[in-house]
Amino acid sequence: SSKYVKASGKTEIKEIASTCNGCSSKCGIIGHIKNGRLWKLTGHPDHPSSKGKLCARGHGYATLVYSKERLTQPLKRVGEGKFEPISWDQAYKEIADKLNTIIKENGPGVVSLTEDPRATGKFYSPRFIQALGSPNYYTHHVVCSNSRDAGFFHTLGVTATSADIGSSKYIMFIGRSYGDAIRPSSVQSLADAKEKGAKIVIVDPRLNNTGNFANEWLAIRPGTDLALVLAMSHVLIKQNLYDTEFIKNYSIGFEEYAKELENYTPEWAEKLTGISADTITRIATDMGKAKPKALIEQSWRGAFGCNYENSTETGRAVALFNAMLGNIQQQGGSIIGAKSHLGALDPAKYPSPKKPELKKAGQEEFPLAYEEQGVATIVAKNAMEGKMKAAIFHHANPALGYGNPKYMKKAFSKMDLIVTIDVQMSETALLSHYILPDVTYIERDEAIESLSGKTPGIALRQQMVEKVHPETKPIHQIYSELAKACGFSQYFNFSLDELNEAMLAPTGITYQQLRQKGTIMFPDMTVELGKMPELKTPSKKVEFSSEKFKEAGFSPIVKWGEPKVSPKEDSFRLITGKQAIHSHSQTANTPILMQITKDYDLERIWMNPVRAKDLGIKDGDLVEVKSSEAVSKVRVKVTERIHPEAIFVPSHYGITSPYQKTAVGVGFGYMEHVPFDFEARSGAGNIQEVIVKVRKVKG
Amino acid sequence: MARYGMMIDTRKCVGCYACRVSCQMQNELPVEVSFIKFHEIETGVFPNVKNEIFAVQCQHCEDAPCESVCPTKATYTTEDGIVLVDPEKCIGCKYCMVACPYQARTQDHLTGVVEKCRFCVDLVAEGKQPACVSTCISTARIFGDLDDPNSEVSKAIIKYNAKPLRQDLGKTKIYYVR
Repeated sequence: SSKYVKASGKTEIKEIASTCNGCSSKCGIIGHIKNGRLWKLTGHPDHPSSKGKLCARGHGYATLVYSKERLTQPLKRVGEGKFEPISWDQAYKEIADKLNTIIKENGPGVVSLTEDPRATGKFYSPRFIQALGSPNYYTHHVVCSNSRDAGFFHTLGVTATSADIGSSKYIMFIGRSYGDAIRPSSVQSLADAKEKGAKIVIVDPRLNNTGNFANEWLAIRPGTDLALVLAMSHVLIKQNLYDTEFIKNYSIGFEEYAKELENYTPEWAEKLTGISADTITRIATDMGKAKPKALIEQSWRGAFGCNYENSTETGRAVALFNAMLGNIQQQGGSIIGAKSHLGALDPAKYPSPKKPELKKAGQEEFPLAYEEQGVATIVAKNAMEGKMKAAIFHHANPALGYGNPKYMKKAFSKMDLIVTIDVQMSETALLSHYILPDVTYIERDEAIESLSGKTPGIALRQQMVEKVHPETKPIHQIYSELAKACGFSQYFNFSLDELNEAMLAPTGITYQQLRQKGTIMFPDMTVELGKMPELKTPSKKVEFSSEKFKEAGFSPIVKWGEPKVSPKEDSFRLITGKQAIHSHSQTANTPILMQITKDYDLERIWMNPVRAKDLGIKDGDLVEVKSSEAVSKVRVKVTERIHPEAIFVPSHYGITSPYQKTAVGVGFGYMEHVPFDFEARSGAGNIQEVIVKVRKVKG
Repeated sequence: MARYGMMIDTRKCVGCYACRVSCQMQNELPVEVSFIKFHEIETGVFPNVKNEIFAVQCQHCEDAPCESVCPTKATYTTEDGIVLVDPEKCIGCKYCMVACPYQARTQDHLTGVVEKCRFCVDLVAEGKQPACVSTCISTARIFGDLDDPNSEVSKAIIKYNAKPLRQDLGKTKIYYVR
């Protein structure tokens, strides 16, 4: 074999710039192609998320292209878990016929499309569902950041800010862990900030892997983050350390909020959070003194993305705390990013489908949810009630990851048509009537991606190798061909290249240049720090009091609210989070990544030694985890790094699809224990409103 | 001639395994074979806890014990101080695995060859960084010539007072900051 090694050593290596699909950050990557095969990846040096580096997922997930467990041909369901291969033409025809019949009988409001969006999907998926006459386009945000998005959007007019970490002097993370849910450049900026002497505080019921960078870990009682932020806001006012000029010029409703904050003393918060009043006062004071180069990082899922009944209010309180520090659009503060100016297809030549007049399902019930992402689990609820008849799932696994799997399975069984477009046999695919095999991200070109941030830019995902399985197709082709079968090919009468050329037109960059570089940034368009932009809230200012919340039947100002459920002395709250080597359930079946889980027993639940001792549990013991919804068996990692009130379970395991041979049976899926639910304000999944009991079992 | 070495700053390591996977890809290793292993040391009592993470690979010892015990001279040290294994000479006897104080050697079950970190000698020959270094998301790893007092790695070792993992086990070319 060493002769082959030597021979391959002389082979010319082709390098192709593209973007990663290991998580939603879509870092810039360079694929190194040897003999027509993907050999390895390196981080794209110009891409703002990778900056020349890649995480373990970025390297390892690319091996998916050569997985033996990919979907290789269109499949039709012929019984529970049973499928037979059919031709693309037959699949298109049957899906189109069913869609048209369902819409004819029920109207277009009963069909939906859900995805974890990537560049091509962002353009094609909403267009496709709109061509069917339906507004029902959803994303995975319902179990990611719906609460934060709603809280931020109605306060600052954007669903998220970015944090100018590298220049900040005082950084607080609430549940967010740069070291576990990785963007390489974010970790690097944190390392830079630390080197420059920034103070870093982690608020989390568990000491996460960003702990090495933290000056201080506040082991908060899970579900009480809102109390901490309210009390810190109280201190800013008491100590007169808030930015009065900023409040005067750029906000509304501050007086009302300040009055409400009088209730929320550090002593009050100490009882709820378990963090001493002195610590709360000290940290708030120090942050006030460091302003505007001080911030609470905005998170994604973190502690208030979708976890608790009070999470949207936590999102609002965090945005407002940052506003009180006057850090919006300041160096070392919270940045409202700029977007690239990209072109669009000529509407005369390429007509767009009409925007549906119907309201997106879920908006009536959750008017505060950010409409573009929607409340994806409403698809299941409406299906259960007979109001949703068809669902298309692209690059999404809601049957396992969005809501309680038992509930989802039952709800999906009531739909007349489920189509899943994916690369592997997910739990959602298993419940579908038709499965259409996508190519992997290593085998396709995509639409141009707009990168927004402090400096905007564009990135392109490109095909690196010839497709491995001849009967797989890229998503843009699937949509265009299915559109033809449905009878609206006029809305997809362009090629992907034509779309990309049209998007590029205003930038002065040629398609060839972009293909060569992969990522191009626009430094001339960098946001001007120190200059407050006009906000997209109704008042065009920071809203300490929100009419939108009032209209929706909620308090216009943030108030403390308890989480929905709380553990007792003999039970735990089940909390979840990411590990650096996986993303949701999509990466679990990657042997090179799952081997790390196996080598280091990473699927174990974490338990505090005090609780473990009470229950007679030792490190490595097998236990039973029981909730109102399910019973699971798993081994325990006994560690001082976790709050006694909680057990922590990594969020990537519990694959049940037998087709995913590497991942099936490893660990358990936390979602099995989460009651199907909607947070009242944003519709998010309330995924940490779960109480479990744990007992030792033999094994 | 150089004497290549590395510094690993454990205060910056988040235990993300990027180095392990990029190394496996670079060296085209089977998924079960890894040149980098991770050790965690948790100290303190909740909520005053510290967790240190040590990424450990071949330390490229001076007078490497694995080299002196190798019956076929398959293990050798290059002029640049990199300890390597010649796969054509290795008979898979595992003597080196026993001799290694860091348990840094692993047998490739497909080829039978006992393998370990090579400091990405091919990349280094091209003037590039080893894969584990170039991908490290927090720049916890610095690589370079230990004999050059002006190299980034030499300066960092002095600045942070970096030390071998186990000073009692002989001189190595990987230094750790704690």
